[in-house]
This record gives sequence, structure tokens and C-alpha cells, in this order.
Amino acid sequence: MSARELYAILPLLVLTAGIALLMLQVSYLRSHRAALVTTLAIIAATIYGCFRVVAMLSQDVSSIAVTSLLLVDRAGLFICLLLLLAAVAVAVLGFNYLRQRCLKVEGAASYPEEFYILLLLVMLGACTLTFASHFASFFLALELISLALYPMLGFAVIGERSPRRDQMQSLESGIKYLLLSGLSTVLGLFGIAVIYAACGALDFDGVAAALASGMPSLMLVGLTLLMTGLAFKLSLVPFHIWTPDVYQGAPTPVTALIATIGKGAVVALLLRLFAQLNLFQIPLLNTLLAIMAVASMLIGNLLALMQNNIKRLLAYSSIAHIGYLIVAFLIGSSAFGSEAVIYYLVAYVVTTLGAFAVISLIADDALAATPGGTQPIGDSASDPFQRDYYRGLFWRSPWLACCLAAMLLSLAGIPLTIGFIGKFYIFAAGVQGQLWLLLAAVVIGSALGLYYYLGLLLTLVQRETTEVSEAPGGGIQIAASGHAVLIILTIALLGFGVFPQVLINWINTL
Amino acid sequence: MTLLAIIAVLFLGGILAWLAEHFYGRGSRWISLLTLLLAAVCLNSYTPEMHDGVTFTGAPKWWDSLTLAWIPRFGIHFSLAIDGLSFLLLTLTLAMGLFGLAITWRDIKFRRGFFYFNYLWTLAGVVGVFTATDLFLFFFFWEVMLIPMLFLIAVWGYEGRLYAAIKFFIFTQASSLLMLMAIVALVYLHYNNTGQVTFDYEALLGAELPAGIAYWLMLGFFIAFAVKLPSLPFHPWLPDAHTQAPTAGSILLAAILLKTGAYGLLRFTLPLFPDASIAFAPVAMALGAASIIYGAVLAFGQRDMKRLVAYSSVSHMGFVLLGLYALNTVAIQGAVMQMIAHGLSTAALFAIVGALQHRLHTRDMTQMGGLWSELPRLSAVALFFAVATLGLPGLGNFIAEFLVLLGSFGSDRWITAIAAIGIIGAALYALLMMQRVFFGLRRQVEETPKSSAGALDLNLRETLALLSLAVALVVLGLRPQGVFNTAQPAIADVVKRIESASVARSKTSAGAAATDIAAGWPQAEQRQGDKP
Repeated sequence: MSARELYAILPLLVLTAGIALLMLQVSYLRSHRAALVTTLAIIAATIYGCFRVVAMLSQDVSSIAVTSLLLVDRAGLFICLLLLLAAVAVAVLGFNYLRQRCLKVEGAASYPEEFYILLLLVMLGACTLTFASHFASFFLALELISLALYPMLGFAVIGERSPRRDQMQSLESGIKYLLLSGLSTVLGLFGIAVIYAACGALDFDGVAAALASGMPSLMLVGLTLLMTGLAFKLSLVPFHIWTPDVYQGAPTPVTALIATIGKGAVVALLLRLFAQLNLFQIPLLNTLLAIMAVASMLIGNLLALMQNNIKRLLAYSSIAHIGYLIVAFLIGSSAFGSEAVIYYLVAYVVTTLGAFAVISLIADDALAATPGGTQPIGDSASDPFQRDYYRGLFWRSPWLACCLAAMLLSLAGIPLTIGFIGKFYIFAAGVQGQLWLLLAAVVIGSALGLYYYLGLLLTLVQRETTEVSEAPGGGIQIAASGHAVLIILTIALLGFGVFPQVLINWINTL
Repeated sequence: MTLLAIIAVLFLGGILAWLAEHFYGRGSRWISLLTLLLAAVCLNSYTPEMHDGVTFTGAPKWWDSLTLAWIPRFGIHFSLAIDGLSFLLLTLTLAMGLFGLAITWRDIKFRRGFFYFNYLWTLAGVVGVFTATDLFLFFFFWEVMLIPMLFLIAVWGYEGRLYAAIKFFIFTQASSLLMLMAIVALVYLHYNNTGQVTFDYEALLGAELPAGIAYWLMLGFFIAFAVKLPSLPFHPWLPDAHTQAPTAGSILLAAILLKTGAYGLLRFTLPLFPDASIAFAPVAMALGAASIIYGAVLAFGQRDMKRLVAYSSVSHMGFVLLGLYALNTVAIQGAVMQMIAHGLSTAALFAIVGALQHRLHTRDMTQMGGLWSELPRLSAVALFFAVATLGLPGLGNFIAEFLVLLGSFGSDRWITAIAAIGIIGAALYALLMMQRVFFGLRRQVEETPKSSAGALDLNLRETLALLSLAVALVVLGLRPQGVFNTAQPAIADVVKRIESASVARSKTSAGAAATDIAAGWPQAEQRQGDKP
């Protein structure tokens, strides 16, 4: 391993060192705020590291192989940067979430600092996954993400002030994810084993060489099993069953984490895997993915129609969005295909993160007024995750409602937002690949999607309160850091929606 | 740059109007008024071009154009251009914007800032639609005008507003996704042929498409525009949206938004796919005729006065569809005239229904009756626009419908004959409406809200606004030549493309029967002028 190779994995090294540092810090200094600051500093350092590696890459070669385990290239670095930026938002949201729920008294059983260690572990896994070029590093990274996510999903238990109901749901989501994720990991691992049995190699290049020479059916079995495991992580139909429950029960910042970073890293890996192994040439896998994409678009949107819980609604909508993304993915190993996938991924991450950020911040504000206990809240208007709570939000706190409205419009793919350009990319990709059936599914799915996005949007502006009183103090108060996250996300959403060329240039030059 | 200025003024004015509410409750509408007037002044700088329309042979196609790079990755430009057709529709847009603002000056009681924000942004989107010459930009504006309209219906509408708003949006949005697909496919085919990615209208006009694919792409465009128009199978959103929208929203919808569909057909579907359009013309004409009859029959059966006017729009826009797909100059001129005349007369009718609802708190015609004695001014104005709707000679609607029928007759006799029956239907429902609402006995047994009838009748502002529309209709009816001259170059361009396509068609299939589609009525421009 040369110095150059070490330098290429600088982001991973910084993250690893940062995790050790943060653990040390937490064991000496139990301060929530300090933990956040350290986390943000570590992430910033990692981002800086990414840029250093980018600078090195642009000088000579386009990619650097670090042993046979990792391969650092531009697409990987770009997605890595995207995920790191998303992690910043998650850290800030997590801070706001935990600050409301953890008692500050001495000796209380609230340990919010661990959240950040787990977050950085997830990030380490995600960044490794985007660089993986070997089934060993791939598996290691995937497991690292999952293992760190289990406690994070159940993290509401730590907050002593969170209602019992939330704690129970949070635990439930953690257990559910543990069991089902374990199952999918086993399937994926078995697939890897079968692939190894078929060709005797575990690094992507070796497998690609074996694939080029011939295609034993054993190999196909292995790849299909592997696909199943990945489809679970992406929550493609029919492997989506866990998604709504886990999304609903998890603390909202963790939901944002699992929806954006968890899926983004897997998409990056899928891009890498298909390009390096040239799996686009295997019709069976393409058909498999196409069927899953169509099913995700239709079923995801159909199931979202009737949801009254916002988090469940977004869960189903995210299933549908990954379905759209797969359409762009399916056009084969062309530069345009990966550009489209990455653009859509950016749009998806920004938008999903924004939507969950608004919900999380609103729920933080509503915590004091939320009834405790273990029973579900009977009055849906006082449950901050129910649609009714959002009725007329536009008139109570216009700014938050505008943010949420922008996110919803972007999810629905309306112009002026990044989601529209993403959808445009999907259409362009689908036309290039002549995937008319898939495009028809995109149109039907989008039309279905409009119904619930608009329904929610119109709930925001509903005027059922006849009195025009401006309700002094009735507005929702959120922290300044939360405001900053929302402002940045909204600007990104509108900016890249109106001037997409900027982002396209970044994707293509990085 | 003037074009950009008009759009920018409307967008910025919208934002200002929203902000102004915080400082002065009524500031929003004054800012809206100033914004619209400013936009009108900008547009007015193009009026000298209008007279050049007569000598259309040598003059450039566009009066003015503007192109800025936007998304070079896909060859997308921010390019706007104006010609006679755009100018007419822009004038209609701004005039109806002003009319809607004036007629509902005091109607908006709550959240005025946000109302006028949406109002101006809808108008800005429509102006963009009428001037965009980049297909991506066109699609962009096409969508941008929807969201504010959605809010106008959903927030300030009547009892069933949420249902109506969502229905409106899903119909238009789902169909426009088909159009997006068609646009992208068109650009991709063009790129495959020429190696150049561009969304530019002029460049795509020259795209060579395989016949089968062209037909499908044409359908993608057609469906999007037919939903907006609306044509028969795609109309169900319209009665709900029009009925539930607030008065100003109904005026925008009926007078302007429906015209974007017709404009799209004329500007994009016909010239981009002339061959496929010729093949499709009989179907489209049949749809147009069916819409005319169907709209008239349903209008006749309504109790709700606003729904009646809404269905009459379906009927009238059927004439536009019929005229456009007759594919000759006379009929298309008629269609353009119908777009303008229908815009004026229907906007006025919606304003009258709105005024009645404001005073009587009902739109149910069975609860009205004998209003003439109480509201003489309003009733007289209503009578004027009712007979305009039914096509009284001397008014713009007559010229329009007459020309459409005249032009279509050469293309397809039977369909035209059926469509002509629709005029009788129009007379039936318009007169029935007059009879039920304004004549007869006073049926409403409840107490009259106010004692003095004078306070209920139209005030000066409303009277002036409505009268100006009436004058415009009379002018259109008596001196329509100006409109024809202005629209002529754009229409001649379209017809030329259709003719060359039909010539190519007849060459390939020698002896095929229906080739004289556009040959029917020579020197039509001369005759039109003399007619009234």
C-alpha cells in the first residue's frame, strides 16, 4: 500500500480517526453540544479530505485502486460528498431532537452523545460502500451501516422525555429492521458465497473477468440473491414491507438518515457493481430490476394514497422514488445513465431530507404539547405526525409551510424545483433506452403521486378556521440551527431546479 | 428584452403584492393593478408591429425575440419570441387579468396578499406559455401556471374546492407528463438524425420523423392540449374547476387558461407534426363537433348557473378544435377569433354569475327569477353577453363561429353540419338562462338581503368593466380585420406546412381522395373583411 493509496482513502481515515476521537471525548466530557461540534468538525474535515482527493484525481488518473478492496473514483467521491453533507443535516436535526427529549440533570439515564458516534459509524460504512470494489469490503461496509443503524432506530428510548409510545414504536422499528435486515444480509452473503463458488474470485475485477469468459447458471443464482439483498436495502417492492413501520417508529432524524444516506450509498454501490461487472448485459437481472421498478412505482404510490401519517406517506413515496431512479439506472452503462442516476439521487436526497427535516422540527416543537402514555393519540389533530396536525399550517407558520410545500412540489416533480429536473432526467434516460413500458409506469405513478402530495399541500393551506385571527404565539418555534438547515436545503432545491446546469457541471467534472 | 420585462414584472409584482399585505391590507390589489398596467405598457410597445401583419411575405416571422443560454447540457435556451398570434393572446391575457382584478376588486376578504400573488403568477406563467419558443421552456411555463391556479381554487373557492382543485391538477399534470415524454422523444429523434441536442422550436420544426412515431408523439402533444382545451373525453375537470373557483379564478381559467390549449395545438401540434395532424384531423374534428353538441346539451341541463357557463365553454372550445383541425386558413382564423371572443364573453358571464352569487348567495337558477326589475343594469348587461354567447351577428362570437363553420365545410361536410346544430343549442341554453334568472316571477321566497334595490345593482366599477368588454365584442364583430391581419402570418405559416405535407402525402399515395384539404377557399382574407 503506497502513500498515494493511503492518501486516496483520506476521507475514510479521517472518519475513522474522528470516531475514535469522539469516543474518547465523550468518555471524558459528557456534553451534548460539544459532541455535536466535534461531529460537525469531523464531517467538515472529511469533506475537506474528499476535496483533496478530488484535486489529486484531476491531476492524473481518473481512479485509484487502493489494494483490491477499494477503488476511489470521481462518481464515488461525488456521492460520498453528497452523503456527508446530508450527514451534517442529520446531525443538526438529531441535536434538536435529542435536546428536547433528554433530561439535562446529573445522573439521568440520557446519553445523547452516542447518537453522533453511531452517526459517524454509519457514515464510515456509507463512504466505504461507495468506494467498495471487493465483495469483502462491500459486505463489511453494508454491515457497518446496518449495525450502527439498529441502535439509532431505537434511540428514542434514550430520551427520557419522549412519550412511552414513541419509545415503544422506536424499539419496534429497531427490532423489525434488525430481523429483516439480518435476513437480507444472509441472502446477500449467500449470494456472494455462490458467486465465489462459481468463479473463485471476490474482487469485482476478478468476477468481471470470470463473467466475460462465460456465464454459469450458478453465477446467475448468486447474482440474483445478491440483488435481493440490495433490493431490500433500497426497499424495492416486494422487499419493501419493513419500510413504513421502520420509518414511522424511528426518531425522525434517523428516518431521514436511513432514507437518504442508507439508500444513497447502496445506489452508489449498485452503479459501481453494474458498471464494473457489466451486469447490464445479463437480461435476467435487467428484467428483474425492471419488474421491481414498475412494482415500486405503482405499489409505492398506491399505498401512499391512503396514508394519514406523514412519515408513512413519505416512506411509501420514497419506495416509489427509488423505483423512478431504477428507470434511469436501467438504460445501461452509458455516461448519461450514471449522470441521470446521480442527478436524481441528489434531487431525492435533498428533497427527502428537507421533508423529514420539516417534520422533525415541527415534532420537536410539538413535543411539550403531545400527550404522553403508551396508547396511540386519539385526537389526530394533536399528533404531530398526522395529516390533521398540518391543517392550515401555512397560515400559522408560513415559512415552515413554504419549505414543506417546496419539498412536496419537488417530490411531485413540479418545475422550479430540483425534483422536476430529476424527473426530466428520468424521461430523457427512458427515451434514450426506449423503455416505453417503464415510462408509462412513471407517468401513472406520478399521477397517483400527485394526488397525495397535493392532498397534503392543500391541507397546508386549508382555511377551515373561519376566524382570521393571526394567533399570536400560535406559530411554531424552531431552533436557529434548524432554520439554517431548512434554508440551505430550500435554496439548493430551488437553485438547482432553476439553474440545473451548475449541478450538472459538478457531476460531470468532479 | 421587453418580453422578459413583462414576465419579470408580473413575477416580481406578485411577490411585492404578497409582501405588501403586511404593511397595508389593501396594498396588494393596488400593486397588482400597477403591475398589470406596467405589463400592459410594456406590451403596448409592440402595437406598431401590428400593421405590418398585412405584408407578411417579406417581414421576419417574429416581431421580437430573446435567447439566453439556460441549460447548455441539453441545448435548452431561455428563448422568448412574439408574433401576431402571441401578441393577440398576450393582449387578451393582460386585458382579462385587468378585468378580473377590477370586477373582484372588493371580493377578496381574507389573505389578500397571497391571493394576488397567485393571481399574478398565473398570469406570468400564461404570458410565458404564449411567448416561449423553446419546448422545454414552454413546458416549464405550462406547469408554472398550474400551481398558483391550484391555490386560487383550493383556498378561495366554494364548497367543493378541494376536490375540484385536485381534479383539475391531476388531469392537467398527468396529461402534460405525456407531453413531456413526447417532447423528449422528439428531441432525441432530432438528435439521432442531426447529432444536435436542441429544444429550439424552429430547429425542431425541421425534424424528420418516421410516420408511425410522429403519430404517437403528436398524440402526446394533442392529449395535453385537449385536456386544457378541453375536448370531449378529457373535459371532466372543467365543470368542477370553473364552478368551484372564485370569480377571478373562473375568469382566468375560462378566458386565458383554456386558450393555452388551443394555442399549443396551433403553435406546436400542427406545425411540428403536419403529416400526423392530417391523418388525425377527422378524429379531432369529430371530437370538436361532439364537444360542441355535448357541451350545449349539458349546459341546457344545469341548474347551477356557473356550471351552465362552464359547459358552454366546452361547447365553444369545440368550435376552436373543429376550426384548427379543418386545416385551412379560414377555419383557423375563425378559431383564433373564437379564442378571443369566447375569452371576452365567457369572462363577462362568469363575472355576472359571480356578481349574482355575491348578492344572492346562490348559483341555483331555480331560486332566482324575475331579477330584471330589481337589477336592471346587471340584467341588461347579462342579456348582451348571453346573446353574444349564442352568436348574434354583429358580435365577435358570430364572426368566429361563422368562419369556423365556413372553413370546416370544405374539409368535412357532415361533421360541420352536426357542429352547426350546436349553435341552436347555444341559443337554447343562453335564452333559457336569461328566462330563468332575469325574467319571470321572483321565486326566491326568502327575505331580500337589502331593502334598496339600487345598492344591489351593478356599481360604477363593475358597469365600466363589463361595458368595456361589451364594446370590445362589438368592435370585434364589426371590424374583425385587424385581428385577422395580425394573426395571418402565423396562421399562413402553419397552413403552408400543412399544405406541403399534404402535397407530399398525395405524391406518395397517388390518387388518394382527400388531398384538397387546404385548397377549398382561396383569397379568404378579402372576403372576411367585407362580411359584417
